[in-house]
Amino acid sequence: MNTQHLQTDFLVIGGGTAGTMAGIKAKQANPDADVLILEKANIRRSGAIAMGMDGVNTAVIPGNSTPEQYVREITIANDGVLEQKNVYQTGRWGFEVIQELESWGVKFQKDHEGNYDLKQVHRVGKYVLPMPEGKDLKKILARQVKRHKVRVTNRVMATRVMVKDGRAIGAVGFDVRKGDFVVIQAKAVVLCTGACGRLGLPASGYLYGTYENPTNAGDGYSMAYHAGAELTNIECFQINPLIKDYNGPACAYVASPFGAYTANAEGNRFISCDYWSGQMMLETWKELNSGKGPVHLKMYHLDDDTISEIERVLWANERPSRERFHEGRGEDYRTDGVEMNISEIGLCSGHSASGVWVNDKAETTVPGLYAAGDMASVPHNYMIGAFVSGRLSGINAMDYVEGLEHVEPDPEFLATEKARIYAPLDRPDGVPHTQVEYKLRRYVNDYLQPPKSPTKMDIGLAAFERYHETLDLMGAQDPHELMRCMEVHFIRDCAEMAARASLYRKESRWGLYHYRLDYPEKNNEEWFCHANLKKSETGEMEMFKRPVSPYMVEVNLQQEVYDVAVR
Amino acid sequence: MAHTDLDPEVVQLVEMLQSQDLNDRLVAAKSLQHLGDEDTIDALILCLNDESARVQEIAVTALWEMANPVVVPPLLDCLSSAHEPEVREEALSALKELVAPDDLLKLLDVIQVEDVNVQLNVLILLRKIHDAQALPYIMPFFESENPVLREASIVTLRYLNQVVRCEPALALAKDANEEVRRAAILTLGHLSDEAVVPMLCDAIANDPDWQVRRNSAQSLDLHATAEATAALTAAMADDHWQVRKFTARALQKVATDETIPALIKALSDEYSDVRRDSAIALGNLGNPEVLPALQQTLDDPDRDVQIFSQRAIKKIQDKLAETSNA
Amino acid sequence: MALATQRVDVPVIVDESKCLEKCKACIEVCPLDVLVKNPETGKAYMKYDECWFCLPCEKECPTNAITVQIPFLLR
Repeated sequence: MNTQHLQTDFLVIGGGTAGTMAGIKAKQANPDADVLILEKANIRRSGAIAMGMDGVNTAVIPGNSTPEQYVREITIANDGVLEQKNVYQTGRWGFEVIQELESWGVKFQKDHEGNYDLKQVHRVGKYVLPMPEGKDLKKILARQVKRHKVRVTNRVMATRVMVKDGRAIGAVGFDVRKGDFVVIQAKAVVLCTGACGRLGLPASGYLYGTYENPTNAGDGYSMAYHAGAELTNIECFQINPLIKDYNGPACAYVASPFGAYTANAEGNRFISCDYWSGQMMLETWKELNSGKGPVHLKMYHLDDDTISEIERVLWANERPSRERFHEGRGEDYRTDGVEMNISEIGLCSGHSASGVWVNDKAETTVPGLYAAGDMASVPHNYMIGAFVSGRLSGINAMDYVEGLEHVEPDPEFLATEKARIYAPLDRPDGVPHTQVEYKLRRYVNDYLQPPKSPTKMDIGLAAFERYHETLDLMGAQDPHELMRCMEVHFIRDCAEMAARASLYRKESRWGLYHYRLDYPEKNNEEWFCHANLKKSETGEMEMFKRPVSPYMVEVNLQQEVYDVAVR
Repeated sequence: MAHTDLDPEVVQLVEMLQSQDLNDRLVAAKSLQHLGDEDTIDALILCLNDESARVQEIAVTALWEMANPVVVPPLLDCLSSAHEPEVREEALSALKELVAPDDLLKLLDVIQVEDVNVQLNVLILLRKIHDAQALPYIMPFFESENPVLREASIVTLRYLNQVVRCEPALALAKDANEEVRRAAILTLGHLSDEAVVPMLCDAIANDPDWQVRRNSAQSLDLHATAEATAALTAAMADDHWQVRKFTARALQKVATDETIPALIKALSDEYSDVRRDSAIALGNLGNPEVLPALQQTLDDPDRDVQIFSQRAIKKIQDKLAETSNA
Repeated sequence: MALATQRVDVPVIVDESKCLEKCKACIEVCPLDVLVKNPETGKAYMKYDECWFCLPCEKECPTNAITVQIPFLLR
């Protein structure tokens, strides 16, 4: 087996939304620097928006809203536990991101006068900007990466960040086609590997039938943890209301301007706000269990022309196979509701709040290591937030690397990691990764899916700890299977973090995301704080509290309770 | 360009574009698309006239992805009837992303070509530029014999900035074709000729097509004028619920005490959107007489109706408290 | 350890009569990297049952040789 040694000034791990932007911004900040994007797929079609995106959720456009208003809205939606200055960055820089994307050829919806055509989906304020022609966003980003002369290495998956003398000095991984061991020295590293979308097992039982792009297996969560970085509020899971079995978004907010809405089995609304939040998920969970379920996206009261228009938008973009799914079941929006269900759990700060702890410069707690996009803990950050955090990491990393030299990796570390990665190839007849992953994720469903029970979570945690031994039984017959095996390692780490964090926070918060049966109420006295975790000196996973920094935008959380169902 | 500057792999692919074998040309075009090397633009432009429509289509996609402004004129040529529908469609999608204000004169030049596909597509592209200079080039299409062009032109009119009056457009509100009328009525929401509001009031009352009537309500909502209150009040009795819904929305700004009976009746409409939007209109109006009717909707089966009805009641009560304190 | 080979209904179907030996378009765009060439025939096929039914393979195929079905378990 060959070893490839690479060197770069700034290593971007993951070439999705945040990663491409991080690379581009770093090059803009310093065109002479060498910037390398490492991508385990191909950046033309990778990451959460591989197939396109039908709109942005967090557009703060002057004249419509201010960064301060946006911070207020997200503070309330996230039950107060957040670092406002991080969220502020999304509001502050989002408009520039939109303008820059536009200059690159991304089309946002405009009204007849050429103004941004914003929609209200949040409780207050208009932050949703449709982009019905946005399907090729990823190709546009790939083109800009090329124009900015950012280097790209496709089909290499990182497995560990290298840390030496207290700072990140690069990463190791392997070529998922050829199997080469790849060692990359860098002066700064940003992790932007997206969500942990393969944590719970979809109800369909298909391992890759996930809401998130299944390549996003929590790689960065695990790598940040092993690098010694802090993670935060992991118990604030990602759970989404999705089309049952298909597991894609029903896109109530795309269809609602046309008159569609989420309804119970009687055809009546039971929530007043289709913006995804833990509170909304809790209402959905209650409705599903009330005898008035199942719930569905209702369009059958609309006329044929309007439905055709909705179909045109829905089927062109984010998940284009949706048309095929309905067709195969003989379902028609004109006569049938779109049955919806609560998804399996995942980790994703883009949707909720679980992520790697970062500050407003996208720095993690390890010098030289940055995190951006869905895996960085900026609540409800979505796509615009991913662009903003990618941008922050790129610009700040270029400052940081000034005057730094490459550091030689520790040979012992390389040898250990190499042995860990390639072990499954020595057991070609070992248990296939599919079975190992299936069982792990079924445990996640059995023991971590909210509502959370302490005893179940204890059992789950013990199972995840024991699962180290199971991982050692896993076998791979080629580098592709090896990639999946290493992803199962990431998933196991995320499962343990999810269990420990959920056990640690002894209250309920964020609606269904962290709804504990033994502590069903919010307890601000003891738990108005971040629940952080990191790998201790002795290699244990340790939990601790971090205070919420004083607010920069005043919000009275006693009066302003996030509510989507009560008058 | 001199091929010697190019990567040998690229040179080989560019040569393959000339192959006699269709399969080779397909592979070459597709591979060049993925490579995205801007030095291959000229070679790909030549492919836009390949004898295979599929090769043409891939070449369009490849040029679109490179997004160099020089590809706009050759892509405009692909909009003509000489090309297969899928090539035209791909070229239109590409141009929607690529046309810039600088391309206006080119578009105005091309729109004069006697080819219905070119004209239709350019009318669509002009919506991306919003420039009133296009007006004289659009107006002749109002009288086109082809309803598709009439419809496209009246929609495009809506997108031209600074155009606030356009008398020749008004006739389309009475067009024989309902799709043209639907589009024209929406455009009327953005025009301020004197005849506009009376025409919209007439359409909401008398047009046989419910979508035209619904669109009239939307346009009258934009005009927000008391001149339309009577017509809107009457339209609350429309047969189609979407007309009632958008009428109730328009009435949220211009309802008077005369509208109250129609809005109260709508609180028990079969459709929850109508009930909700009527409750909001009643709250905005602020007359305490409607409070008993609103109270009854607090146990509506629809959550939105409950919430907005509660807010309407509060609004009226707050207003009452204010006046009694004053 | 004993391993069984099971038959699986795979989502990506390649029409071998249309698939071009020199072309790698579908293989390059697959986010999950599940498509490979059969070394004997030069035709693409789905080697790993790990499909997100995201469709770039189908869309990028220059000869429309690919059909993506919704995976059986979700269908």
